[in-house]
Amino acid sequence: MSNEMGTGKAMDWSRGVVLRAGEKSLGLYQPSPETTGYWQGVDRHELLLKECRDCAALHHPRRIVCSECQSTNLAWKRASGEGVVYTFSEVHRTAGAFGVSVPYVVGIVRLAEGVHLFSRIIPTATRKVAIDVPVSVDFRVLEEGYLLPVFVVREN
Amino acid sequence: MHKLANSCAIVGMGRTICKKGDPDKKSPLQLIAEAAAIAMKEAGIKRSQVGALFTARTPRAYMTLQFNQSLLNELKLAPMFSSEITAHGAGALGAIELAVSLLDSGLIDYALCATGEASPLWIEMVEGSANWEADLQFEAPYGPTTPSIYALFAQRYMHEYGIPPEQMAKVAVENRLWALDHPHAAMRKKGPITVDDVLSSKMIASPLRLLDCAPWFPGGIASAAVITRADVARSTCEKPTYIAGFGQSSLHEWIGERMGLTGIEPAMHAPNLLRTGASVAAKQAYQMAGVSPKDVDIAETSAPFTFANLLMLEEFGFCGVGEGGSFVASGGVDYNGGLPFNTTGGYLSFGQSGQGLYLLKEVVDQIHGRAEGRPVPNVKLGLVHGHGGPLACHSVMLVSGEPVQ
Repeated sequence: MSNEMGTGKAMDWSRGVVLRAGEKSLGLYQPSPETTGYWQGVDRHELLLKECRDCAALHHPRRIVCSECQSTNLAWKRASGEGVVYTFSEVHRTAGAFGVSVPYVVGIVRLAEGVHLFSRIIPTATRKVAIDVPVSVDFRVLEEGYLLPVFVVREN
Repeated sequence: MHKLANSCAIVGMGRTICKKGDPDKKSPLQLIAEAAAIAMKEAGIKRSQVGALFTARTPRAYMTLQFNQSLLNELKLAPMFSSEITAHGAGALGAIELAVSLLDSGLIDYALCATGEASPLWIEMVEGSANWEADLQFEAPYGPTTPSIYALFAQRYMHEYGIPPEQMAKVAVENRLWALDHPHAAMRKKGPITVDDVLSSKMIASPLRLLDCAPWFPGGIASAAVITRADVARSTCEKPTYIAGFGQSSLHEWIGERMGLTGIEPAMHAPNLLRTGASVAAKQAYQMAGVSPKDVDIAETSAPFTFANLLMLEEFGFCGVGEGGSFVASGGVDYNGGLPFNTTGGYLSFGQSGQGLYLLKEVVDQIHGRAEGRPVPNVKLGLVHGHGGPLACHSVMLVSGEPVQ
């Protein structure tokens, strides 16, 4: 968000829609027009992907151009929220607000739709995070105060 | 052999170092300008002869738009081309690669490529690093650290190929031995380490432990190279270093999107995390030079974690896919008798300085028998690798004391 000259008020990039995820807006890089829909979905507890309206390919929520057919006709599509762990790391040394949660797990989840997302992966009391373990999306406020989609290990 | 093989040569190199605690604390611009001046003096060229000035990415501790212009202003150059070549840590060698193309075209006669970092002298590295490596919207809010981003590759690497931690640790042990011989290596005074030392060091980001990770070089390093066409080099330079071949490949910006890349090498048929642009760049370099991995006498990689060294040995073709662990375990890069590999101590024991041409300088010095650390006899052909953006962008260069045949 840039400051509107003279008023001191923060202006966003999409005509007055307040762009937030959780209680705070997202850090240095604010949600921009191609990603605001994703964060609005997060507020509704919906995980959204980009879908190509021309070739039906599904993409990471950042996509502006379809890498399969170069179409710019992309729209939001709700994901099932189910997936498996593709890879992960348990973080033991960190900085800033995240320190209170060590060790915590970050990783890449392969969604049922075939799209991969970077996320927080949360084990259960009885099942640890491992490659190929099934996970389901949940929405939680993490250490910096943002509401974010995370993935929780499924027991079965 | 490609027409660019042997077409150009390095005729001057400069390197400057400022260590933490030195009474004369230097800025990145100071270090880089001084390295450039040394390189120009060694090449015996005047300011007016520099046809291209290329820098790699702006030093983190000297954030200015178009750092190349700051350097140009300082050195009072007026080149035809002036630009930053920014492909993370691959940009430094990438600058030389672009210079070769320009020199061969005849548009310019000399190129100056200069780069450096001095971040540990000026900024808090641990706090800031992940925000340089992660997507600030889709990744940083989850709390990734730089080691944890590399660890995502490592976890997958161990899983897919059954690489045990002992094999990863072995490369740290061998790197350390080289560092003990190098006057500037960060870990020189720490003495040798064992596989058990690595495996019992504290966990940083699983599966990576402290001794799986490169320390920051405790200070700043800048390096610069002057390049010209081979015909000019032969008539003006006693000991030119020929650029036998090179390659470069950049794949992604954020690891969370790496798996969205397919239909192009090295992910032609399916997305994968482990085959990197280093294999593409190495293949291009070998083809350009008309050589194969077995012709390489020395190799320097920018791998900042143990597993990444194993992976790069695969990518450079020194062993097969998935064989990096067994290659290292069976003595492939042993300090005694293996391929001379990371002869400064490598990122793991010399220390990491973000980007730079100091690995290139090590190979050039080894070729001409003037290495600062342990000398490697009879180096005819050396391989240098620069990479960055957590395994996203890779440059590979082959250099030789005589034109490759």
